[in-house]
Amino acid sequence: MSEPAFFILTALVDATRHGYGIVAETAELSQGRVRLKIGSLYGALDRLVGEGLVEVDREEAWQGRLRRYYRLTERGRHALDAEARRLAANAHLASTRLVNSRRPVTGESS
Amino acid sequence: MSRLEERYRRVLRLLPAAYRQEWEDEMVAAFLESMHTGDPETDEYLADYGRPSLSEVSSVLSLALRLRLGGADAPPRAYAWGQAVRLATLMGVLANAVLATAGIAIMLWQAGRIAWLPAPAAELTLTLPEHSWSPAWHLAGYAWLPAYLALVLGHRRVAQAVALVAVVPPVITAVIEAAGDSPLTVAPWAMRVTDIVLLLAMSAFRADTPAVPRRPWLLALPVGILLVPVPLFVAQATTPALELLDWPGLACAVVAAALAVHLAGGAIRRTPRAVSWSLAFSLLAAATLVTRIATLVDYRGQVQHATLTTIGAIEVIAVAAIGVPVAVLAARGLRATAPSNR
Repeated sequence: MSEPAFFILTALVDATRHGYGIVAETAELSQGRVRLKIGSLYGALDRLVGEGLVEVDREEAWQGRLRRYYRLTERGRHALDAEARRLAANAHLASTRLVNSRRPVTGESS
Repeated sequence: MSRLEERYRRVLRLLPAAYRQEWEDEMVAAFLESMHTGDPETDEYLADYGRPSLSEVSSVLSLALRLRLGGADAPPRAYAWGQAVRLATLMGVLANAVLATAGIAIMLWQAGRIAWLPAPAAELTLTLPEHSWSPAWHLAGYAWLPAYLALVLGHRRVAQAVALVAVVPPVITAVIEAAGDSPLTVAPWAMRVTDIVLLLAMSAFRADTPAVPRRPWLLALPVGILLVPVPLFVAQATTPALELLDWPGLACAVVAAALAVHLAGGAIRRTPRAVSWSLAFSLLAAATLVTRIATLVDYRGQVQHATLTTIGAIEVIAVAAIGVPVAVLAARGLRATAPSNR
């Protein structure tokens, strides 16, 4: 799963959101680290819709423009859950190794 | 419509029409919202003078490339274009790999370093450059060989990284030479541009594109070496007249021959495979023609100016004569292919 796809799914867990709503939520969730570009957002979104992980919830007019709201499907929830577990397992692996390697200095120089 | 919106919509024109119909308005709305600062004065200024940032434009560009050069699950027409670019890229990188391998051998022979071959004629003798970095510099071109192998084996990023090793040194050499006193020639630049285009075109190989059939493409390497550089090498060594064939001329000869084989073979068929191949050959023919015509300028100051230009013209006519029917077949095949869903 690509990073944009991962963040789009994560942004949709608690609420339905429209395009820019996803961008804003992603920026907030990642504390500004991930700034989705519109091209990458829709590049990932159209695939997620195609794969049935995300679907259109409703359409609203806002300031004369169309806003399409998206929601996470049950399949999307499962896919995100699986990906989150995979990433957590990877992260755990790295942290365990790092903790184990913090031994006292043995005096060997490199 | 604000100037900003106009500018963004112009960028979105990079995307296929069908995709725009579905997503354009939404993308515009999201983009404009992303430009809101909350300060009315700044917003007004941005609406007039703002531009989509480079990263926004490049995100649309990479989406456009993904959609237009389609992978396995793309609509038939986008898939045909994707396959054509991938095939043309493979053939271009293959040609570089073959010529790089042969080029090193010829250089060593001309320098008298291959003892078991007959010595080259006096006017062909080459003194290897004295600087120790120089042979290594020339060997950089050899990187096309591992780059090609990596591309065929499905390691696109490795292929691009390795190809960069082959591309950068000659670009630096060309820049240094252009800054020097020697008269400016088009040929080295045309070669560098071709290399850079190939390097970028490798991006058409992605995770969602079908794997390259390994056996035929790996076999193409030794076959290519036996078919082109070896006979050419022997012919040029024995028949001095053939020295008149420079590398754009050689490219014309090889592409014309390949086009003829394709035309005689399966080009007539309307299968997606045949259409992609016709399209790939059309792209190669167009690139070869542009290179040939551009490099004709280099003949201006040469002693055999008239002869060389005539040969060049014949090369152009040959490629065009076989390239046009192939391009027509490709265009017909594309038209018969549904633009969207299979």
